[in-house]
Amino acid sequence: MTTSQPTISTNQTPAGNAMIELTNVGKAYRTDTIETLALQKMNLTVPSGEFLSIMGPSGCGKSTLLNIMGLIDEPSEGTVSLAGQRIEGYNGNAIARFRNEQLGFIFQSFHLINDLSVVDNVELPLLYRRMSGSERKRLSLEALARVGLSNRATHFPNQLSGGQKQRVAIARAIVGKPNIILADEPTGNLDSHMGDEIMDILLKLNEELGTTIVMVTHDERMAKKTHRLVRLSDGERVS
Amino acid sequence: MFKNYLLLSLKVLKRKPFYTFVSLFGISFTLTILMVISSMADASIGNNAPMTDRDQYIFINYMERSVESIDTIYTIDSVLMESGEMRYDTTTDFNNNNSNSTNNLNYKFLDQNLRTIGSAENYTFLSNNYQTDVYLEGRKINLRTFYVDANYWDVFDFQFKAGSPFTQEDNTQANQVAVITTRAAIEYFGTDDASVIGREMVLNERVFRVKGMVARPLMDDQYINGDVFMPLLTIDARQLAQEELYGPFNAVLKASSPAGTKAIQEELNFLAENYPLPPESWYKQIKLHNANFFEYFAQSIVQEEDAAKAKRLLYIPLIILLLLFVALPLINLVNLNVSRVFERKGEIAVRKAFGANPSDILWQFIFENLVLTFIGGIIGAVLAIGLIKYINKNDLLSKVSLSLSPMVFVYFIILIFVFALLSGLIPAYRMSRTNIANSLR
Repeated sequence: MTTSQPTISTNQTPAGNAMIELTNVGKAYRTDTIETLALQKMNLTVPSGEFLSIMGPSGCGKSTLLNIMGLIDEPSEGTVSLAGQRIEGYNGNAIARFRNEQLGFIFQSFHLINDLSVVDNVELPLLYRRMSGSERKRLSLEALARVGLSNRATHFPNQLSGGQKQRVAIARAIVGKPNIILADEPTGNLDSHMGDEIMDILLKLNEELGTTIVMVTHDERMAKKTHRLVRLSDGERVS
Repeated sequence: MFKNYLLLSLKVLKRKPFYTFVSLFGISFTLTILMVISSMADASIGNNAPMTDRDQYIFINYMERSVESIDTIYTIDSVLMESGEMRYDTTTDFNNNNSNSTNNLNYKFLDQNLRTIGSAENYTFLSNNYQTDVYLEGRKINLRTFYVDANYWDVFDFQFKAGSPFTQEDNTQANQVAVITTRAAIEYFGTDDASVIGREMVLNERVFRVKGMVARPLMDDQYINGDVFMPLLTIDARQLAQEELYGPFNAVLKASSPAGTKAIQEELNFLAENYPLPPESWYKQIKLHNANFFEYFAQSIVQEEDAAKAKRLLYIPLIILLLLFVALPLINLVNLNVSRVFERKGEIAVRKAFGANPSDILWQFIFENLVLTFIGGIIGAVLAIGLIKYINKNDLLSKVSLSLSPMVFVYFIILIFVFALLSGLIPAYRMSRTNIANSLR
């Protein structure tokens, strides 16, 4: 376990610079007998404001790559820089604060908390900031308005359709105004109509707020709507 | 934030009614029993009248006389040597023989030696308690009777419901007056109002006039658990005149502060070590068994005369037993909590992905557990209060009345918090260290 703390200044968008920079990143999963390489010598730079999609067959390392960008997995080798900061320690409170302020996550299976209302789900990232309850509520409702779900604030996740759930998840991802959104197959569990809706919201966020978005997808059609496409195969970049 | 946690914990409890029921049952049952135990403890060793100053007392209830004699034992061994001759070896063994005898004290000894213990602020001499049967209109009443001196009413702060204590004069003149408890009043006169003052009671064919009436103490303690208290000097004169060191009496000495009891004990030990026994006495040494409140309490429960040993004998097993009793439901609860918390791996991973520290997660689960334990605690408290009232109303513990003092509630709140922390900490700690990436697949 490394105890060094990353020194991170927050909410500073390096204009025109790289928002995400991976240099020679590799990830190996080790058991007692075998070592599996999930990522090899990955070099990837995502400029601020870019909407990047990552494609590749199952098991090619897409999710691992996304997890490393999201600081929820530690690379075995190489360096990761986010928002102009090189990340060094992975276990401190500073990394949690950095995730809280700089990153938003969207998952294929939504991962909403069923026991909490929509608005309570959305305010979750703000719970870990110093902020008054009324301010949290205001920002959460604002985020819900952005995804067009203002009228569902007091509903519960199991009262919503899949597309609506994903919109709640997007609201949760943007409520803290992060610089980077990481989306792991956000349309994977949705039909094409709902998928398009979600995609439109993400495109609009990217355009209006300038949020850098990295999206893993299986869907060529969705990938084509983004600025750039990176293909992975067997843990390596092929395009 | 706490509102958020509170809402969530209530919902989680509602979502799993059976789990919640099992947890609540375990918690409330355990806490009920613990509360009854703590109220029993408060009744027997709490700072309650008439022993509000319990830490200032030194109880003297035994005198031990002992003698050490040396036995000399000669042993003659015969050994057959190779030459065919016999050899005789003589060995001498010295055997220390310690014989002793223990009993309550004699009035003369108390009168001559204990009135001058300088470190004591006050003292009282009293007899053992006697079971006295009284026949009234064909009914038999059993009363515990004590002979006590007038200081008794200063050393112990009995609450007088009516009348007053008897005086030094009553004692020295051996006036046939008595202080009775409300229980004795009801048994004997059928009422415990002030009208009993001045009425007459026949005890062992002697007539005593009731001078005061006191509330029955909570605790069943051999120094205060009488029903009728009479002046010491009204006791059978033969008991007072006894020349032996032993007799039916005890003494309680009171220090001006809890720290002062040490000095009293030292003075008593000095007195005993230097006590001149007559040369013709078989025993050569005396020891006064003196104990502070907790030692004496242990002595009276485990029937062991040595104060330090009695304390070990009583309190160590008691604490182990209590810990085991708490440990069982606690382990069960930890187990239930672990499985409950593991179902929420996804939620925890999401919270961590969005910036929760391990300590945030830890506190969330401890808080949830506190809510659960608190609800269980309230149910437990209601059950315990009901149970205590029931026990007292039906006199199920005969001489002990359980207390419902504020202290019992303080113990109870502490118990709840300890329970919540202990049963929540392990699962919460394990959860706070989960790997996010694995949980979000």
